[in-house]
Amino acid sequence: MAIDFYWRLPTHGDHATIRRASLDRGDWSPLSAGSQAPGLTAAGEEDGFRYIDHLAEIARAAEISGFIGGLIPSFPNTDDPWVISPLLARETKSFRFMIAFQPGFLNPVQAARLSASLQRATGGRTVFNVITGGGGPSQLWWGDSFSHDDRYGRTSEFLDVFKGVWKDPGFTFEGRFYTVRNGGLAPLLGREEIPEIWFSGSSEAALQSAARHADYYLSWLEPYDQLQDKFAKVKARTAQLGGEQKCAIRVDLVARATEEEAWRDVRIGFENVTDETRARWRGQPTDSVGASRQAALRPTEAKRWDELVVGRNLWGGFNLLRGGPALGIVGSYEQCAEQLDELIHRGADAFILAGTPHLEEAYRIGEEVLPLLGRTATAGLLQAAE
Amino acid sequence: MTLKAYWRLDPAAEPDRAEPSARAETLARDVRPITINRYDHYVQIARAAALTAFDGLFIAHRQEADDSQIVAAAIARAAPRLRLVPEFPASVGSAVYAAKQAVTFQRAVHDRLGWAIAPDGDPDVRAAQADPVADADLGARIEEFLHVARGVHGERPFDFKGRFFEVQGGGFEAPLSGAAFPQVFLRGEQEDALARSARFADVHLFAPQPIEALRAKIEDLDRLALAAGRNIEFGISLGLAARESTEDLADLPETDIVGTYDDVAARLAELASAGIGHFVLSAAPSLEEAYRIGQFVLPRLRAHQPALRAAA
Repeated sequence: MAIDFYWRLPTHGDHATIRRASLDRGDWSPLSAGSQAPGLTAAGEEDGFRYIDHLAEIARAAEISGFIGGLIPSFPNTDDPWVISPLLARETKSFRFMIAFQPGFLNPVQAARLSASLQRATGGRTVFNVITGGGGPSQLWWGDSFSHDDRYGRTSEFLDVFKGVWKDPGFTFEGRFYTVRNGGLAPLLGREEIPEIWFSGSSEAALQSAARHADYYLSWLEPYDQLQDKFAKVKARTAQLGGEQKCAIRVDLVARATEEEAWRDVRIGFENVTDETRARWRGQPTDSVGASRQAALRPTEAKRWDELVVGRNLWGGFNLLRGGPALGIVGSYEQCAEQLDELIHRGADAFILAGTPHLEEAYRIGEEVLPLLGRTATAGLLQAAE
Repeated sequence: MTLKAYWRLDPAAEPDRAEPSARAETLARDVRPITINRYDHYVQIARAAALTAFDGLFIAHRQEADDSQIVAAAIARAAPRLRLVPEFPASVGSAVYAAKQAVTFQRAVHDRLGWAIAPDGDPDVRAAQADPVADADLGARIEEFLHVARGVHGERPFDFKGRFFEVQGGGFEAPLSGAAFPQVFLRGEQEDALARSARFADVHLFAPQPIEALRAKIEDLDRLALAAGRNIEFGISLGLAARESTEDLADLPETDIVGTYDDVAARLAELASAGIGHFVLSAAPSLEEAYRIGQFVLPRLRAHQPALRAAA
């Protein structure tokens, strides 16, 4: 069994270190001499590079150090994955572009055309992370006025149409959200492979939709028992429909040569968190079930970094150090690999990993952690138990 | 105004060139992986246009071929300096999302993006594309699309509830808010198209037509734009067949302008004197002719410019 490991392209700026929250790689923080991508010369003039140049280096770092590709997240203040992927297509060789997107943003037939064109531009390296539940009231920022459960209905229909026009040159469809008459991709485009579909969402509506459409069901890291239950449920539901569901986890790591070093970085990062970040951390309105689950994990007023240690090598304060989910893995290379082995044992078939800073950590985790997988003491014990 | 010359890349033209599925069996050992394909050819066309001093590349919307926006992004970093103008219909999806994609493109390529809004297809084509908008509403959809895209780009918070798009609290924060909005190209010859361009286009692209008719339309549109408090530029899309001497002209395909390099440049200069500032040029085969037109016609056209300026 081979496990697919993806990395992440930080589309909302990057930090030079997990110890400080300032986004000093990219122009999301005020530029100063020494800022990267776009960099400024010592004289304070732009040096001609843009943030995309930094993303290109991260993609190459991930590719070189053994990741299969990278997730390209999409939020209101990020750069856009549909544009980043073709921009970097010709500067990478095997890196797969996992595009995060919400079906409401594009016409489904146009999305199929774009995807097939991107498959041709990349030699079949397109993957989708279809997002539906995120956002809540802020959906209207995107111009999307659908309710939570309608959005899942629409996602299902979107994927019906997306796959339908791809496979069937005379595709006709009459749904609640979309109607197609005699549609279909041109032969040149339709002969490309349909990209793998990764599906996120923790609500009941999401799980139903995933069972029908997802190649991978993607979850943030959650307490392991809870995650194992969720994966088992998704796999059983898809099996009932006669399919096979693979499951994947998105998780950040702080992996260091020793455990002490890893926790030291986390402690310093925690001590540098500003009051403003802490206030934001207390919660924003959302109707995302996944986000609520993460919020429920952590004490709301942690005074010390170690109050957020929620298990062996597990820390629940990652969203204080950078945007995204709260729970992540902290430890030595060996311990990090053990945690991943444990998660594989509990049903994970693939991972999206990340670490800060994204370029250097792609090398570190690719070179120090991935080679240990399946060889840790945990893996041995798990195999013995089977 | 400095003339702008764009080469027109048509992703559906010469479909067998560099296409792996069209490779013939041959005695010659073929070591090309399938990843060497039409995108490599598109890049060559773009670089040919850049090397021969075109100002931009116009990428046609062709339902049956590679998507213009994917092509534009895939070649952008390999083709320095060129303005890139993908053409697409307003049926692509959310106007907010289109604006957001444009922002990333602009940030990455130093504000080189333009948008050419393609006319919508006929009812059968639209039904095949899951586009529910009726014939009578297509113009209104284009207008809303551009209004909303410019709105979220230029204002924060931007609120809008229209017939096709709804936004609440929209608009970009820094650094996304710093990118320039793409220059918008619209086309159409009828009154409603001219009225739309007066309010929404940066450049109106005309079809080839007799120069007197063109002058009249330019005058009309200029007046309409002025009344709307806007300034608009004019362009034309032309197929060319240009050769070194008159004896080379026999057997050339019929195009909008056929002639020697000097003739073609003179015809283009005449259009420029009528007010055309943007020339979207094409000829087949695209790569070879980009070199020819760029090397032999554009310098002759530009040589007319001082006279044009003096006349203006």
